[in-house]
Amino acid sequence: MTDRILEARDVRVAIGGVPIVHGADLHAGAGELVAIVGPNGAGKSTFARALAGLQSFEGEITWNGEDVRRLRGRRLARTRAFVPQRARVPDGVSVIEAVRIGRSPHVPPLRRLVTADHEAVERAMERAGVAGFADRMLSTLSGGELQRVQIAIGLAQETPVLLADEPTSALDLGATAGLARLLRDLVEHHGIAVVLVVHDLALAAAVADRVVVVSRGRTVSAGPPADVLTRECLRDVWQVDAALEGDGSRTALHVDWLAPSTL
Amino acid sequence: MSRLRPLLAVLVAALAAPGAASAATTKRVVAVTPFQANVLAELGIKPVARGEVLGGRDRVNPLLNGVKILKLSHPNGPNLEQVAALNPKLVLTTPTFRRGEPALRRLGMKVVEAEPTNVAQVPTQYVRIGKLVGRERQARTLANRQVKRINFVMRKAKRRPTVLVILGVGRTPYAFLANSWGGDIVRRAGGRLLTGGLTGSGGFARISNELVVKRNPDVIIAVPHSESKDIQAVARYMKTNPAWRTTKAMRTGRVYVSTGNSLLQAWTDVHKIIADVQTKFLKNR
Amino acid sequence: MAVATPAAPPAVAEETGAPLPERRARGTVRQTAVAVVAVVLLAGSVAASLMLGAVHVPLGTVVDALRGTADDGPLKEIVLQLRLPRTVSAICVGAALGVAGALLQGALANPLASPDVIGVTGGAAFGAMLVLLAFPGSMALLPVGALAFGLLAAGIVFAIAWAGVNRGSISRLILAGIAISALFSAGTMTLMTAYPDRVQSAIFWMAGGISSTGWEDMSAVWPYFLAGFALAVLLPRPLDRLALGDDVAASLGSRPAVIRLVAGLAAAFLAASAAAIAGLVTFIGLVIPHLVRMAGGTSRHGYVIPVSAVAGAALLTAGDTLARVLMAPKELPVGPFMVVLGVPLFLWLLRKAT
Repeated sequence: MTDRILEARDVRVAIGGVPIVHGADLHAGAGELVAIVGPNGAGKSTFARALAGLQSFEGEITWNGEDVRRLRGRRLARTRAFVPQRARVPDGVSVIEAVRIGRSPHVPPLRRLVTADHEAVERAMERAGVAGFADRMLSTLSGGELQRVQIAIGLAQETPVLLADEPTSALDLGATAGLARLLRDLVEHHGIAVVLVVHDLALAAAVADRVVVVSRGRTVSAGPPADVLTRECLRDVWQVDAALEGDGSRTALHVDWLAPSTL
Repeated sequence: MSRLRPLLAVLVAALAAPGAASAATTKRVVAVTPFQANVLAELGIKPVARGEVLGGRDRVNPLLNGVKILKLSHPNGPNLEQVAALNPKLVLTTPTFRRGEPALRRLGMKVVEAEPTNVAQVPTQYVRIGKLVGRERQARTLANRQVKRINFVMRKAKRRPTVLVILGVGRTPYAFLANSWGGDIVRRAGGRLLTGGLTGSGGFARISNELVVKRNPDVIIAVPHSESKDIQAVARYMKTNPAWRTTKAMRTGRVYVSTGNSLLQAWTDVHKIIADVQTKFLKNR
Repeated sequence: MAVATPAAPPAVAEETGAPLPERRARGTVRQTAVAVVAVVLLAGSVAASLMLGAVHVPLGTVVDALRGTADDGPLKEIVLQLRLPRTVSAICVGAALGVAGALLQGALANPLASPDVIGVTGGAAFGAMLVLLAFPGSMALLPVGALAFGLLAAGIVFAIAWAGVNRGSISRLILAGIAISALFSAGTMTLMTAYPDRVQSAIFWMAGGISSTGWEDMSAVWPYFLAGFALAVLLPRPLDRLALGDDVAASLGSRPAVIRLVAGLAAAFLAASAAAIAGLVTFIGLVIPHLVRMAGGTSRHGYVIPVSAVAGAALLTAGDTLARVLMAPKELPVGPFMVVLGVPLFLWLLRKAT
């Protein structure tokens, strides 16, 4: 994990004159799952969008050593995939058509998809577990199915890095676990780096190799989950009395829900 | 009719190609307006077709009986395919149907807008049409006769009542200005149009009922402008228009309705129309 | 704590039904069938448009005229000078409106979008009225006036929509379109009251209709048709990306605001050119792309845009033929016929879809 594909230093973002992120750092390498965690409104999503090149910023973000601001259009789309928090669900688009759209950065304008592209689409659908309902319309899918389709769209880009912004936020327990397995599988068996914005600390602890804690627009700590998500950290950042307990992929967050706020 | 059409087309096609050159002296002419058709008839030329007449059929020259009648509609006027099938050399039309003119020209026809928009243009358009069909001398004679007749009937006016000539498009009134056909007719019949200060396009100005009351004419001549079927209803409405109740014209029972298109478009019997306006509406002879 | 999880793929294939390849084939067959039907309808209506009219021209003469072997005479001229340009105009206008509707519905992610939305229709109407009512002596400028003001209105809408915060967003564009449309229709109404004696000639234009004016109108407008169609060729895949939402489109390397601008521009070219030739025939732009999506069962723009072009051309050509045959020799405005032809089909599909 020394080979850093993504490197961000002192990232600052202001939207409409209001600073949202000021001083965020992160790095990710092949075969690594990095989780960005933090309270509501901490600037996690904004930070992730800046990493993905979808948000203008000050500071430094490089992909394979190249400034993200210089990576535009199709080149950027072949460098990283980004799965947004809430994607639109259009009428009249089937799963396979949506995944083919995800392949479009590899297809020159006015050209058709070639065999290699079709194979990539099939591969992405297989990996994301959506091949079984490839012909269903997006508008008929459940939240979990849709989220997997979004991942498949990202996978069809065949990028070394996948960024996902809260992909589990609308999912039930089973679907969340399914998605967690999927992401972990991508990291371990396909050497993909995953940067995951996630709310659920127990989940983050179970799937992430490293977590980056963002609080009030700033990264306050980063490292293996067990080292970072300490009682003190949870108290300082989330203002709760809680402790993360776990063993491998079996994790739990023990929270004293009614303890007086430490603020 | 529809069964006849193919027959007609074949007939026309058969006649058109060889016949055209030999018949050059009396050209094949289509006249869109009744004025044009009447002038042609007076010049002794039977047009190959003429436009339909919506009002005032009795004013059409009897020589025109049996001439094919073309239905007219916006924006082209006559159906262009029908005109094309007749293969005329000359089409007399009006600015109203200007949209269809380029297509007719491209089909090799001469297209001329020859329609008087006021009384003074009646003799000049006679001469113009006469020139176009090679009968200028006769046309000048007819034009001179028109001038004499018009001057004669104009001198008959003994009084000069004030008048508003109102065009009713639905229930929206417009006033005929002095430069419209109808306004000019009424002026020459001895009426004084109360349209000073009003401006508008094409000889008409939007006028409010309040303005009608304020100008308080001796005579109101209402001209309904709608399809012939409901013209009576519009005429009735105008005759009893409560908004005009306080005008001198309404109080003295001098609101008249002119039907039959004589004030809306040019006719060759212009002296009779002026005389009609004098006897029926202005009562100033 | 980051530990390997079992790499078992998530559960798949909970859907039952026909095996995969067969289902995929069924979708393709349906799409192909719809496209073929559209092409056949277009061919039929083009043939009818060339054959039928106020004057009967035998089929043989029509064919001979088109092949250049007909005898000189009025019938040949009717086919070549009146019907052929009219048919070509109908095809171009119908195709342009179908494509414009498909582009806008895609770009604005709104099934109700049509060229009215971006102000083109209101602007074109004003431009046409300006020529028809205020300068009837320069009737030849009618298409140019409609085109110029249609593009001007769209230009203003885009300028407003692309200024300030939230630039290029759908709601900004739609609101700007509503405001500018209102402005231009107020202008149109003012013109109509100022020139009451000429309103008659304006009504036909408003109702929408193709008049047999030969190649003249087309010769003024074709570059804009061409520009619109050329841009449309580039747009299917970007619009597909946009369909998945601005975020997905952006992450796939597109710029959503730029796609929307280009699609809007192409639609403005097409709709303004269409209005220049045929007046206000707005119905096609709204309904044809819907028909194609519902009948074909897909929203893929690579399918919807070309098939909408063919279907729009077929519908307008058929409608124009009907409009000039039904009460021949009088010609009816074609706009109402679009509605008569399209609405029942549309309602039937709508019923089936729900």
